[in-house]
Amino acid sequence: MMAFRDSVRAWLRANLPADWKHAMLGASEAEHIAFQRQWFCALRDGGYVAPHWPKEWGGAGLSFADQIVLYEELARAGAPRLVLYFISLYHTPATLLAHGTDAQRRRHLPAILSGDEIWCQGFSEPNAGSDLASLRTRAERRGDRYIVNGQKIWSSNAQYARYCLLLARTDPAAPKHKGISYFILDLDQPGVTRKPIRQMTGGAHFCEIFFDDVEIPAENLIGAENDGWTVAQATLSSERGLTILELTERMRIAFDVLCAEANNETPWGGRYIDDAGFRRRLAEIYARLEALRALVSNMLDRVVRGESVGAEPSIIKVYYSELLRDFTALGLRMGGLDAQRIAPVLMGGGYETGNWMHDYLYSWSWTIAGGSNEVQRNIIAERALGLPREAPAAKPRG
Amino acid sequence: MDYALSEEQAALVAAVQGIVRDHGAPPSDARQSFAYFDASLQAALQGGGFLDAARVLGALEAALVVMEAATAPGAAELGASALVAPHLFPSAAPNGPFALIDAAALGKAHRHLPIAKTALITDGGDVLVLDLNGVRIDPVDSVYAYVYGRFAERIDLRALPRIPDAAPLLRQWHRVALAAEMAGAAAQAVAFTVEYVKTRHVFAKPVGAFQAVQHRLVQCHQAALAMRYLTLKAAWAGDAYHAALAACFAQQKASKIVFDLHQFNGAMGITNAHLLHFWTYRLRALQAEAGGVYASAHTVANALWGGAGP
Ligand SMILES: Cc1cc2nc3c(=O)[nH]c(=O)nc-3n(C[C@H](O)[C@H](O)[C@H](O)COP(=O)(O)OP(=O)(O)OC[C@H]3O[C@@H](n4cnc5c(N)ncnc54)[C@H](O)[C@@H]3O)c2cc1C
Repeated sequence: MMAFRDSVRAWLRANLPADWKHAMLGASEAEHIAFQRQWFCALRDGGYVAPHWPKEWGGAGLSFADQIVLYEELARAGAPRLVLYFISLYHTPATLLAHGTDAQRRRHLPAILSGDEIWCQGFSEPNAGSDLASLRTRAERRGDRYIVNGQKIWSSNAQYARYCLLLARTDPAAPKHKGISYFILDLDQPGVTRKPIRQMTGGAHFCEIFFDDVEIPAENLIGAENDGWTVAQATLSSERGLTILELTERMRIAFDVLCAEANNETPWGGRYIDDAGFRRRLAEIYARLEALRALVSNMLDRVVRGESVGAEPSIIKVYYSELLRDFTALGLRMGGLDAQRIAPVLMGGGYETGNWMHDYLYSWSWTIAGGSNEVQRNIIAERALGLPREAPAAKPRG
Repeated sequence: MDYALSEEQAALVAAVQGIVRDHGAPPSDARQSFAYFDASLQAALQGGGFLDAARVLGALEAALVVMEAATAPGAAELGASALVAPHLFPSAAPNGPFALIDAAALGKAHRHLPIAKTALITDGGDVLVLDLNGVRIDPVDSVYAYVYGRFAERIDLRALPRIPDAAPLLRQWHRVALAAEMAGAAAQAVAFTVEYVKTRHVFAKPVGAFQAVQHRLVQCHQAALAMRYLTLKAAWAGDAYHAALAACFAQQKASKIVFDLHQFNGAMGITNAHLLHFWTYRLRALQAEAGGVYASAHTVANALWGGAGP
C-alpha cells in the first residue's frame, strides 16, 4: 500500500503543473476545456485516470483500497478536479458495464479514454427533480429508431458534451417507474438545443436541453425497453463514495488556508484567531470536519470489505454539504466586505478555493444536486432509522 | 411599546406598498444581473417625500417606510436617507442618496457610492460630510444586489466639514436602517418562497405539504417577523442598545433564512432566473455591514455587562 502511495506522490511531483492554479484563475471557457483535457490525458498516460475501470477496458483495475489512496493523494496535492469528465469517468462506464451491450462498450469506453468524449446526464426535467420518476420526455419507437421530444434541465456541462445519458418515457400508460427507458443520445444532431442556465455564482455550469423530433438508433437503448429505472440505479451508485472522500480531503487542506486567514484583523480590533467567539467557531468546524473524515473512512472500509453501506452515502452527503456551507460561510465572514467582490474563479478548483463568495454560493449546489438534503433525510429516516415512509420512494440521484 | 399601526401609519405603509407594486417586475436585463439599482423606485420614494418620514412623522414611521420599500426586487438607497441623515441633520440635510463610509476603510468598496450624492464618513468619533458632485467613482462588481463603488481619486479628509461627536449616532441609526431593510427583504423572500412551495409539486403534492419544509419555513417566517418588531422597537426607543439588538438579531438570522429559502426553491433557487436572489443577496450584504454580527453582538454584550468595544 505504501509503495502505491509513494508512486502516486512521485508521479504527482513530476506531472502536476505547478502553476495550474495561476493559469486557471479566471480562465476562459476554451482554456478550461483545453486544460481539463490536458490533465485528463496526463492522468491517463500515468495510468491514473480510470483507476476503477477494469483492465480489459483500459482502466487501471485498482483495488478499491488503492483507489482511496489515489484520491487522497490527488486531493492533498491540490490537483485539478476533472469536472468535465465526471459523468464520462463514472456514470457512463458504470451504466454500460452493468447493462450495456458489448457493442456499446466498444464504441464508447475507448473513446472516453481518448479524452475526446465528454458526457452529460439528462435525467432531471422542469417538473421532475426530486420526483424523478414523473419525467415526461417522450421516446417513441418508429422502426429501428426512437423519436425523442421533450426537455431536460440542470444537465451539468451539457454545453461541452457530445453524449447524454438520457431517461425518457417509452410507455406513458405504465405506472411511472415502469414506463421509462434509458438511452445513449448523441447531442450533435438536428433537433437538439442546449441553453446554458446562469447560476447565482455568475457561472453557467448547467443547461436546459430541448429535444424536437430527435432520433436515437434502437441500438442505443441501454438495458430493456421500459426497464430504465433499474438501469439508472447503476448510474447513481457509480462512484461509491470516492468523490466525497476526495472532497473531504480537500476541505481538510483548505482548513489550513482558513486558519492562516484567521490571522487577519477583525473590524472590531485584534485578530480573528484571538477572538474567543471566532476561535470557538473555528474549532467547531474542525471537529465536524474530523467527524466527517471518520464517517467517510468507515464507509469506505466497509466497501473494501464488501459490506453493505445502507443509508451511509445519504448521511455523508447531508453531513458534507452542510459542513461545506458553514465552512465557506466562515471564510466569507472573515473576508468581510472585501470577500464579497466578484473575483476570478479557479476553474476546476473544487469548492474551497479561497474565493469565499464563490465558494459559499457554490456550496448551495451541494444541498440540492444529487438528491436534495430533504430527500436524503427521508431516505435516512426510512433506511437507517426504520421510520414509516412519508412520501413514495425517492432514490438518491445525480 | 404598542406595535399596532395607527391609521396614519397604515396609510403611509399602504402608499409605499403601492409604489413597490409599481416596481415589481425588473426589466429582463436587470433580472440576470447581480446588482439591480432601481432608479425609478428611488425617485418615487424620494420625490413623494417618503424618505423624509423621520423628520415629518418620526423614526418609527421612517422604519416602516424602509421595511416596505425593501420588499421591492430592485434596490434603492433607503436606510441612510430615511433613518441616518435625519438624525444627523435634524433640519436641513445635504442631498441624498447617501453612502455610509468608515474613514478607516476609505479605499474599499462602499454600498451605494456610485449613485450617492453625499458620503457620510465616520472618522473616529466625528462624521465628515463629502459632497460627491464631481468626485470620480469606479463601480465595483459585487454579488450583493446593491451597487458598490470605490473612490477613483484621493479624498482629503482634513478639508471636509466635520460634525463633532456624531459617529455614535450614525452607527446607531445605521444599525436600525440595516435591520429595517433586512426585515423587509426577509419578509418578501419568505413570501416569495411560500408562494413557490404552494405551486411546485413533487410526489403528487405541493412541496409545501411536507412538514420538513413547513417547519423550517415557519422558523424563517418567525425570524422575519421578529426582525420587524425588534427594528420597530429600536426606531421607537432611539438608543444604541436597541439598535445593536435589532441588528444583532437580523444579522444572526440572515444565514439560516437565506439558506433555507434557496433550498426550498430547489435547483431553481440557485439560478438567476428566479427573483429570490435579489432579496437574499441584500440580506447577505447587510449581514456584513456595520462590523457584522460579531460587532453588533459585542455592542449588545457591552451594553448589558459592561466592557469597552464598538
Ligand atoms: C449543481 C447542480 C447540478 C445538477 N446536475 C444535474 C445533472 O447533471 N443531470 C441531471 O439530470 N440533474 C442535475 N441536477 C438536478 C438535481 O438532480 C435536482 O435539482 C434535484 O433532484 C432536485 O430537484 P429540483 O431542483 O427540481 O427540486 P424539487 O424537487 O422541486 O424540490 C424543491 C424542494 O422540495 C424539497 N422536497 C422534495 N421532496 C421532498 C420531500 N419528500 N420531503 C421534503 N422536502 C422535499 C426539496 O428538498 C427542495 O428543497 C443538478 C442540480 C444542481 C443543483
